[in-house]
Amino acid sequence: MDTQPEELAAEIKRLQRCINDLVSILALPVVWSGAEPSHILHTLLDVLLDMLQLDLVYVRLNDPNGQAPIEMVRFAAPQKQPAPSPHEVGDALQQWLGADSRQGPLLVQNPLGDRDISIVPLGLGLQSEIGIIVAGSERADFPWQTERLILSVAANQTSIALQEARLWSEQQRVTSELDRRVAQRTTELAAANDDLRKEIAERKRTEEELRSSEERHRVIVEAANDAVVSMDDHGVIQFANPATARIFGHDPTELMGKPMTLLMPESVRRLHESGFRRYLATGHRHINWQGVELTALRRNGQEFPVEISFGEQTRDGHKVFTGFIRDISERKQAEDRLRVSERDLQMTQAELARVSRLTTMGELAASIAHEVNQPLTAVVNNGNACLRLLASGNLEPEVLQRALEGIVADGTRASSVLARIRAFIKKEPAAKTELDLNEVIQEVLVLAGPELDENQVLLDQQLTTDLPFVLADRVQLQQVLLNLVMNGIEAMVAVTNRPRFLGVQSRIDESGDLLVALSDSGTGFDSELDRVFTPFFTTKANGMGMGLSISRSLIESHGGRLWAAPNSPHGAVFSFILPAAGGSPS
Amino acid sequence: MTGAPIVFVVDDDPSVRSSLTFLLSTVGLQAESFDSANSFLQRKPPDAPSCLVLDVRLPGLSGLDFQRELAARKIRIPIVFLTGHGDIPMSVRAIKAGAVEFLTKPFRDQDLLDAVRVALERDRARHEEEKDVMSLQRRFDSLTSREREVISMVVSGMLNKQIADQLGTAESTVKVQRSRAIEKMHAESVVDLVRMVEKLKGLSEKSR
Repeated sequence: MDTQPEELAAEIKRLQRCINDLVSILALPVVWSGAEPSHILHTLLDVLLDMLQLDLVYVRLNDPNGQAPIEMVRFAAPQKQPAPSPHEVGDALQQWLGADSRQGPLLVQNPLGDRDISIVPLGLGLQSEIGIIVAGSERADFPWQTERLILSVAANQTSIALQEARLWSEQQRVTSELDRRVAQRTTELAAANDDLRKEIAERKRTEEELRSSEERHRVIVEAANDAVVSMDDHGVIQFANPATARIFGHDPTELMGKPMTLLMPESVRRLHESGFRRYLATGHRHINWQGVELTALRRNGQEFPVEISFGEQTRDGHKVFTGFIRDISERKQAEDRLRVSERDLQMTQAELARVSRLTTMGELAASIAHEVNQPLTAVVNNGNACLRLLASGNLEPEVLQRALEGIVADGTRASSVLARIRAFIKKEPAAKTELDLNEVIQEVLVLAGPELDENQVLLDQQLTTDLPFVLADRVQLQQVLLNLVMNGIEAMVAVTNRPRFLGVQSRIDESGDLLVALSDSGTGFDSELDRVFTPFFTTKANGMGMGLSISRSLIESHGGRLWAAPNSPHGAVFSFILPAAGGSPS
Repeated sequence: MTGAPIVFVVDDDPSVRSSLTFLLSTVGLQAESFDSANSFLQRKPPDAPSCLVLDVRLPGLSGLDFQRELAARKIRIPIVFLTGHGDIPMSVRAIKAGAVEFLTKPFRDQDLLDAVRVALERDRARHEEEKDVMSLQRRFDSLTSREREVISMVVSGMLNKQIADQLGTAESTVKVQRSRAIEKMHAESVVDLVRMVEKLKGLSEKSR
């Protein structure tokens, strides 16, 4: 081989550079220690591209877990824009990747430009199992021997570094997993400890609450305004609080061991005993256990109304019943007073309605009088004037005609005033609805209840069920009924030598109308039978004498009739009928 | 006071007004009608006996208020009230305040005509009376002050001698003054003079 000295010098220079490059390549593992695989590959590609003046360098790293491989590529100066992706480059080179580059240079179509390119594929790992590197150059004599040497050393170093990196990261993963598990377990243990502490505190608190709540209950029961009495399943009193003394008059300590029935009047005792037996046998409660109203018995024999709530407990296999007993005498009295005042209010309202109706009628009458009197006055004047002229023989036809024209005009005017008033009266609204007559009767009897009690009047009700509805104004019907009931009561106030009976009857009469009859055993009327319905007629000391008159007109405005008859042997019967409305309450 | 009597009708209803005028005309009475109290007040008082036929229910001023208003203005015209629905307290009030009659519509024609005649007669008499008092006053005014002094003493029942003593003059002088005063007053006697003085006193008391 004839070698020129210049060529020799160049050869030496090239070898020197190759040695320098090899030293650099061998130093790479120091840089790579502890680095991620992607970092290793980035450094490798940059170093090779620069060191070997390559036009292209590509690397593919297979993933050990069978996932998508990592691909990277570097170009000296990409001629195609945009630059192809690593994956596109990998696809273009695919068919030569398995080829053995030691057979000679591989000349392939440059994926980046027009000209061909020489490539060197180098496997990473013994069977290229880690991946592959491809170095490419447009230089036709690529690769020189030195370049091939550098590339294969670099591939080996990279393989080792990647394997180390994998091991390192696996180790890291295992370590961190271990740390995580330790931390998790520690947390779990801490939480369990916390729960235990809480549970202990909770138990302490509950015990304390139980203690204080027992104390509180004891204080409440001692201080309660209501009597609290417990009995066992034999009906024997086990406990009574201090309020029992105030309400019943019994010393609580004396009550212990006595039967519960001691606190009940005879009538309630039987009810209690049978109901209690049945409950113990069947578990069936014969009364409401919450807020039932009963009659109780004081030590001095006085009966009084109470409201009782019961509770039941099982202690040592035995049932204990506790009753909370409230004295409601005052409330009952207040309720009675309220009922009386409600009735009074109703009566007052009814009276007010009557008076206002009368006033309205008076005003209407005055208005009618004026409106009609004006034309009538003119008619009478004109007529009288004509008569006078006629009598004196001075009535001239023109005068008579003018007068007659005036008379006709004023007569017409008077009748049109009346027509207007009639139209006005028709506009009065009627509040008539379908009513159950018996229901209205019951409402009125409730209202009159205190009055009946006070005057010791016995009520005899004979109400026929399933009566048809009546079409009526509820308030007006109530007014009529209340008026008749109160009249009946008042007529019996003076009666002392016989029972005071108020009979209330509802039925259908022979003609299919609904009939209501109120009979009393009072003083009755002597000869005033026809006059009782006359306005301002009264037999009472403080009566207005309008009640029956108005009641009659109210019933008549409902298409009915109201009349009176003597009762036998004493008293009076007031009856009214109302037409049936068709429907029936049932 | 020379003219024929006039009846003033005040009612807001034209039919009532014209029929009243017609009715009054049949007995030869002249009537003038007004639809409100105010339009009547615009008219000059007539120089003839007159009366008012007044509806109680009037727009604006009511009949009874109008009666009070007339009294306040010293217009002493007799009033016959008409009403559609008079109640007793209302009519008592009206009559107490000087009304001649209180008629409820529709009324008998004779009742109205009688009431109107009474009212006109009352008005005529009042005018006569006023005329008398006025001439009496004129005569009284023509007396000298000493004559008036003497007359007032005569009327109070003093004797001539007593009057002379009190005035410090001769009894004969008193006699002369007394007879001259009786002559000037056109009195027929001392009794007549007393009556005249009483009338004048009553007038001055009334106007107080």
